[in-house]
Amino acid sequence: MSPVVFYVAMAIVLAAVFTYLAVGRRVGTITIDGARSLMGSLDIEAFRNLVDPEEDAFLQSCLPADQFRTIKRERAWAALAYARTLSHIALEFSRFGHALRNSPDPSLAELGREVATGAIHLRILALQATARLFISAAFPKLPQRSLRSLFEQYGHSASLLARYRMLERARKQPSQPSLA
Amino acid sequence: MDWYTLLLFYLWIAPHLLLAGVAVLLWKRRLHANFPVFVLYVLYEIAEFIVLFTISVARLHQQLWYLPVFLVTSAISAALRFGVIQEIFNNIFQEQGKVHSFARVSLRWTTGFLLLGAVLFSLFASGQTSNSLLAGAAWIGRGIAIIQCGLVLFLFLFSRGIGVSLQGCVFGIALGFGILSSVELANWALHTGELSVPMARALNLLPTGGYHIAVLIWLGYLLAPARKIVQVRELPVTDLRQWNTELERFLQ
Repeated sequence: MSPVVFYVAMAIVLAAVFTYLAVGRRVGTITIDGARSLMGSLDIEAFRNLVDPEEDAFLQSCLPADQFRTIKRERAWAALAYARTLSHIALEFSRFGHALRNSPDPSLAELGREVATGAIHLRILALQATARLFISAAFPKLPQRSLRSLFEQYGHSASLLARYRMLERARKQPSQPSLA
Repeated sequence: MDWYTLLLFYLWIAPHLLLAGVAVLLWKRRLHANFPVFVLYVLYEIAEFIVLFTISVARLHQQLWYLPVFLVTSAISAALRFGVIQEIFNNIFQEQGKVHSFARVSLRWTTGFLLLGAVLFSLFASGQTSNSLLAGAAWIGRGIAIIQCGLVLFLFLFSRGIGVSLQGCVFGIALGFGILSSVELANWALHTGELSVPMARALNLLPTGGYHIAVLIWLGYLLAPARKIVQVRELPVTDLRQWNTELERFLQ
């Protein structure tokens, strides 16, 4: 293939990708259903247990080295599935937050900003956790680092959605005096 | 005047007239505060067009003025485009707190990799090039187009990957630059070799045609009303109960 043909083909592919991205932009109704069903499928306690460094240390002290490595690898793979789900939840939160930012109600718009920012942070933490778990699965001997910030951020995002629920409820029942 | 000349003039003049409209819309929608470099780029492109058009119409190109002026103004234009891409990045991520620094570092690394990639591509896939000044400029222009295409692609994929949804006009500006850069990549790649006269005539239409499309994209996204891209569906009461259950389970 001549270099000119190669560059022209590259340019055509890039233009096609840009066009695809423009056409594929989501327009329509965003609901929180996706995030909710994903949250339902996520057993956060099980995930927390799988990535708990203390649990790892306990298993290491009880099991022979070979068996521990096998179990550590299996635990890391299982935790990876949870991390991926959490990552998807973060994306759904983010879409919801960005949609909420366009709300005519200033309090909802402000909440939307918070939800979106929190969701982006959650997504990055989930991606970091995914990378760490891959390393953990590949090299089970390496010590497991705590994913506390990920769980804290998840809790924060979930509490923001609870606030959304309260705001919505307050909007439906305007006679009630307090949101707090 | 034959159809080719008509088309050539149309594709040269029309985008710049539309670009004036883009400048007005940027001002009216108060986007000049958020996108000063893009506004500068738009004004610069209009001024560049006036200078080059004057040289062309006054037949000063016969005194070899056109090519050096064209190359110098193109270099400034390319530099401004890098500025606009950086500006889009800042606009998207500046309100995201910690993510902003992560995005900045990622952009820097991506630019480094793209620069390296452009140099390597040029070394290993340079092909036969002519020795003319234009061919030399095309060699550099091709590298710049690769980097700019890569940066715009990175911007889209990165924001999508971390869940940042781009607002209409920001997306439109980036998309315009993406299309423009990919057309320029093809244009400069074709200019690196020796060109026959009919081929050169046909190629004259490519960058202006691509530019026209980019300006139409900018104009379209700026003209689109500042509407809600998405509407949040209100939660039915049963959904709220299910939410409650999930949150209670999480808090336990």
